[in-house]
Amino acid sequence: MNMSNKLRRLALRCGAIALIGTLALPIGIVQAQDAPVRVAYTQSRSGPFAPGAQTTQEPNYLLWAEQVNAAGGLNVQGKKRKIELIGVDDRSDIETMVRSYEKFMTADKVDIVLPPWGTGANFAVAPVANKHGYPMVAPTALSQKLVDMKLPYYFVTLQQPKPMMQALVDMLAANQVKTVAVSYMDDLFGLENIGALEPLLKEKGIRMLDKKSYPLGVKDLSTMLKGMKATNPDAFIGITYPPDNFLITGQAKEIGFAPKIFYTAVGTAFPIYRDRMGKASEGVMGMGSWNPKMSKAAKSYFDAHVALNKKEPDRWASAHAWAALEILQQTVEKVGLDRKAMRDHIAKTEFDTVLGKMKFNGTEEVGVPGMVGQWQNGEFEIVWPPARATAKPVIPKVWN
Amino acid sequence: MTKTRFLAGLTILLTVAALAALPALDSPFVQSLALTCLMFAGLAVSWSMFSGPTRYLSLATSAFFGLGAYCTAWGLTHLPWPVVVAAGGGAALLFAFVIGLVVLRLRGAYFAVITYGLGELVKHTITHFEKTYSGTVGRVMTETPSSEVVYWSVLIITLLAVATYLGFGRSRYGQALRGIGMDEERAATLGVNPMRAKLLGFCLSAWFAGALGAAMAVRWTYIDPNTVFNPFIVFQTVLMSMVGGPQSLGGPLLGALVFSLLSEFLRLSLPYLYMILLGVLLIVSVLFLPDGLVGFDWRKLLRRKSASRP
Amino acid sequence: MTVYLFIDLVVAGLVTGGIYAVVALGLNLQYGLMRIMNIAHGEFLMLGAYLTYTLVRATGWSPLWFIPPMMIALFLLGLALHFLIFRRLAATSLDQEAMEARSLIVGFGLMFIAQNLAQLIWGGGMSGEPYLDEPIHFGEVTVAANRVLVLVVVAAVSSAMVLVLKRTLLGKAVRGMLQAPLGAMLVGIDTRRLHPACFGLGLALAGLAGGLLSMVYELTPAMGEPYTISALIVITLGGLGNIPGAIAGAILLGLAETFGMYYTSPSMKILISYGVLVLVLLLRPKGLFTK
Repeated sequence: MNMSNKLRRLALRCGAIALIGTLALPIGIVQAQDAPVRVAYTQSRSGPFAPGAQTTQEPNYLLWAEQVNAAGGLNVQGKKRKIELIGVDDRSDIETMVRSYEKFMTADKVDIVLPPWGTGANFAVAPVANKHGYPMVAPTALSQKLVDMKLPYYFVTLQQPKPMMQALVDMLAANQVKTVAVSYMDDLFGLENIGALEPLLKEKGIRMLDKKSYPLGVKDLSTMLKGMKATNPDAFIGITYPPDNFLITGQAKEIGFAPKIFYTAVGTAFPIYRDRMGKASEGVMGMGSWNPKMSKAAKSYFDAHVALNKKEPDRWASAHAWAALEILQQTVEKVGLDRKAMRDHIAKTEFDTVLGKMKFNGTEEVGVPGMVGQWQNGEFEIVWPPARATAKPVIPKVWN
Repeated sequence: MTKTRFLAGLTILLTVAALAALPALDSPFVQSLALTCLMFAGLAVSWSMFSGPTRYLSLATSAFFGLGAYCTAWGLTHLPWPVVVAAGGGAALLFAFVIGLVVLRLRGAYFAVITYGLGELVKHTITHFEKTYSGTVGRVMTETPSSEVVYWSVLIITLLAVATYLGFGRSRYGQALRGIGMDEERAATLGVNPMRAKLLGFCLSAWFAGALGAAMAVRWTYIDPNTVFNPFIVFQTVLMSMVGGPQSLGGPLLGALVFSLLSEFLRLSLPYLYMILLGVLLIVSVLFLPDGLVGFDWRKLLRRKSASRP
Repeated sequence: MTVYLFIDLVVAGLVTGGIYAVVALGLNLQYGLMRIMNIAHGEFLMLGAYLTYTLVRATGWSPLWFIPPMMIALFLLGLALHFLIFRRLAATSLDQEAMEARSLIVGFGLMFIAQNLAQLIWGGGMSGEPYLDEPIHFGEVTVAANRVLVLVVVAAVSSAMVLVLKRTLLGKAVRGMLQAPLGAMLVGIDTRRLHPACFGLGLALAGLAGGLLSMVYELTPAMGEPYTISALIVITLGGLGNIPGAIAGAILLGLAETFGMYYTSPSMKILISYGVLVLVLLLRPKGLFTK
């Protein structure tokens, strides 16, 4: 091979490497003074998680970006910058979520990430966020396992299984309930809560007459409910997600299952539950934290949500989602977008939010206690604990 | 050594070297793309090892992959990485052996349906076991090996798969499998023990799928039964092999390359369209490309087109 | 358990089994006659359900009006699919095994297309318009009205199919084809017309099941797949091409699932289903009821 051939090949090789090199370089735009703050997330717009995500979480993300940008932008240590919201449909698929968040944090290098919906989803995504050093404040995760992982960059604003189940059991005991029938969805949320519930029931001497699990996306639970009806419990406890809580309420009504207390965990606090179930929703209890009557901040949040999203926020995790965004906003204002500084600030500060004072002990938020709510006359009243209650519980539930 | 042999060998060596050196580019996107390509190449080649010559449509790949992944999830903290990966393959091989003894007695659609059913059965059994005894749905993996290590592991497994495909294909057992594919009864009379040959091919093919599952599991940090036992894994593997051409080595490799690229670009952004496209391609290839893209006589098509011109 | 609970469970099992019987009927005809392993069969159930639901939503009329036209639409779709795909498949397959394997892969392709098309058109949100869900009381036993309706319809359709097969000339032709495909052709049965018709009928029956289900349950694009599996189990239990056997198998499976779920949990249903499939294929691949 002669000289010119060798040179040609060398030139070609160098050219190729140069080309590949430039393609592979991270495309970083020097942060201009008024470059937008890039906020990325995945939310379920289809699949079994969609009813939950589209009621509780994504509308809040949209409301927040809208409100903040209308006021000039996100306050980053004094300088206002517009929020650029990047939202992707994860189709309730865990793999899609994990890959998307990885892409956000490694290839796209966004400024802030917001969490997906649901306990299982958060369990998958939290370690990824933690690995890449992105703080995440999550409103829709209930998992003692997650808390025990002690991920420094991960925070949950929602009450955890133990406080929620404690509130439920205390309420049951205070109302002389002796027997219960329990159903739980066998996703992580259900497993965590039944794990917390069982020892607490034992403690209070409440007997569990029947315990059944069902898969997410189940179509028909009438057989299960018929079996429970036959045992005639004082209370029915459904550790549900939407839409199974709709299914269970509808089918219980169909078969005439009418215990004194009817509790379905998640989805009950949804306004769409009250609208679709109509009279059947009256008196149903579930997980809740607030209603618009509780404070001025609550009312103005409620009104803003209705105005933009044309639907009410739910009476539980919606407010926790809003609180999480408030926490993020206050943090960025104080310490800017440096992710380590953000994490440290969130970990040690007490925040003022729509739900009152919030503070984190490790991953877990400890300011807001576990509560039980109940639909009464079209509003979701907090009926337990007495210190936070807005109304007394109505027992027995009337089925008509 | 002839000139063509030398050039061919050199090309292969350079390609392998280039693939091995890829992490040096420090581009997570390119590396992830290459990783997906290599994984599917390994899956498609190992699937074709058995299902190509015998024409037994095995739909058990997802089960093997998932078993390998769970081996990693359970064993990563206790065992060194190479052992974990090999054990993942081993678990799949063991499973293939046990079910093969029974399942390889069936043929045609029955074989396909039962291998699919077994995949689902394994998935739901592990799900049930994890939920009841471990109280969890998925598993988080802390302390995972670096992405370069994962990449090289998958590269090595895939290269092994290619080598095994070629070696096994030339061996006595490989020829036996081809004979079985053409006419199983006659093959038996020719002195081949069909069961032994099938079992060997089936188990060998399973090891690679399991090892790949074990290696890829750490990619996701978190695994659950639905992700690693996803039937889509086997569908895509079959698709790649059948569209590429199930009777040769080039077929699955080509199929893997084409579909990995397609999948990487379309699956996150236009998932539904992507799946519909796959479905259409699958049907078209079965109807019109019985030997896949590689086996299609492109020259005949061109000749016919030019002949029809006046 | 009380007598009433027992009756409750039996009724639930019969309703479930009845749906399985109707779905399995179609699959049985397709596989028994033409060796077409239509793994996408359940997707046509899903399409039938969504079509019915969409029409009900648009007009507010009872779904019962829409089920017959929807069945006709699916019948025509079946004819089209057979003409476009399966006829060529049959013509170019070297032997029966090849036909089975290739139709299986085609089935997967159809499944991808159908499910994802449904996601694009109807995906997200909750779909479902319960119809006639008021409970009827038979003494102590409570059943929802729509389930009684479903039971009545599936029983009628199944009996009609069995009668047609036994008594009419057409039915005899179909049974002839099921037992001996080559012999049937020799005797002059027009397989070229009967095959597509049976394929189309199979799809129409799946659509019927879907339309009935749309009155009872919520709809999702993935709702068809479990029914395909159940149909496979049923035709394996009953023996290929054995229509009355499949009906018996369907009832058996429905009862087994219902009582199984009562004693364990709804979470076990899918494990039970696949377990039964694998067991039957391993132990009695020719069916429980074959001589």
